[in-house]
Amino acid sequence: MANNSTNRKAILVTPEVCIGCRACQVACKSWNELPGIKTKNNGTYQNPPDLATAAYNIIKYSEVPSQDNPVRWLFVSRRCMHCEDAGCMKICPAPGALYRTKEGAVAFDRDKCVACKLCVNACPFDVPRYDAEGKVTKCHLCFDRIGEGMLPACVKTCPTGALRYGDRDELISTARAEGFGTIYGEKDLGGLGSIYAFKEEPNLYGMKENPTIPSSVIFWHTYLKPLSLIGLGGVVAAAAIHYMAVGPHKDEEV
Amino acid sequence: MGEMVRKESGGAILNHWVLAISCILLMITGFAFLFHLESVGAVFGGFETMKTVHNWTGVVFTVALVLTMVNYLGDSLRYDADDVQWFKVAGGYLSHKVKVPPMGKHNPGQKLYYLGIVIFGIAIALSGFGIWLMKDNPTIMLLSHLVHNVAFIFFCIMVPVHIYLSTLANPGTFQIMVSGMVPLELAKKRYPKWMKAAGKM
Repeated sequence: MANNSTNRKAILVTPEVCIGCRACQVACKSWNELPGIKTKNNGTYQNPPDLATAAYNIIKYSEVPSQDNPVRWLFVSRRCMHCEDAGCMKICPAPGALYRTKEGAVAFDRDKCVACKLCVNACPFDVPRYDAEGKVTKCHLCFDRIGEGMLPACVKTCPTGALRYGDRDELISTARAEGFGTIYGEKDLGGLGSIYAFKEEPNLYGMKENPTIPSSVIFWHTYLKPLSLIGLGGVVAAAAIHYMAVGPHKDEEV
Repeated sequence: MGEMVRKESGGAILNHWVLAISCILLMITGFAFLFHLESVGAVFGGFETMKTVHNWTGVVFTVALVLTMVNYLGDSLRYDADDVQWFKVAGGYLSHKVKVPPMGKHNPGQKLYYLGIVIFGIAIALSGFGIWLMKDNPTIMLLSHLVHNVAFIFFCIMVPVHIYLSTLANPGTFQIMVSGMVPLELAKKRYPKWMKAAGKM
């Protein structure tokens, strides 16, 4: 990967200071000109219920009562994790459809997407969504803003500092200095571009433990891909050697 | 020119070339997807069009593959003692000095190659349809992706072997897949058991 960790950017999510206002969702829609989604009330403030083609980020609301807080309500902002080792980019057959920005974000170019949906199945976090025209959509870390030195829309609008954007290493050391014991995504999948500062267990917030790219995709990428070329080249070479060393069949000798 | 015997019917020849050309087109576009070969994509005006070409060529390949079974499947399932001996001398391909047992219409290498094409061809076709048409089932999608790529390796290895053996390695063989005809004298040497069964020797 061209990115080294010194200039890699990230979003730091600190669920502890999130007030669940969903301004991040609105700002994202506003910047990316995404339409509203008609949803139903399912007894939760979480809305829309999940990431969608018109919802690149959402706040997940979960009620997780604890001993000393029977009405504990947890908010966690969810979007593309911008993995360093990105399953979607690995499996994508269309060059440039999913690409890495110089800040380390995984962005997409819907004109280059071939609508195969392989990325959906290779993503460890169930992030990519396909729009009505069968093209990939997801959070792109506002590549068009950060490339111009601006903050991602969601971060810009966050009133509490639950979303912060900046140099990934600096964000991690800041979070540590603030007393957050667990930085989710610090090491997972080569290090995520969306990192989370927790004082409690990440799975309390519904964070996936040990996220991994599907093993079949890793096996394919590591072994099958090179083997197809090695196999083809090896057989062509073997045929050439056979032709020179043994030579063609001669009917006279039968 | 002496007497000729027909080894392949016109239909079988057409079937072979539809299968062969679709197979090679699928392999080239497959490599382009696998290794992001933008120059190949450009030939098709972009990867999305190339995907459409790849998918529909896959349909042609599948139909052609099924049709070949009419001609070759029966023979490819029958093996005798001479076939076993053929393997022991590696078909005479490693040395011209060994004695190769008399063969029928197809040698066991060809028969096994054909069975491989059928098995891996069905696997690559079914998994291709899985990737194409069952996008919303993660299990089928990932399994299909794996099977498609495993079967692809078989084709990467065996198709060049087939091309080599049927052209440079065995002069005169390629002509059979063009005209369908083989000189009687050559047929007697190469396929004595078939010629005996046909009452020609």
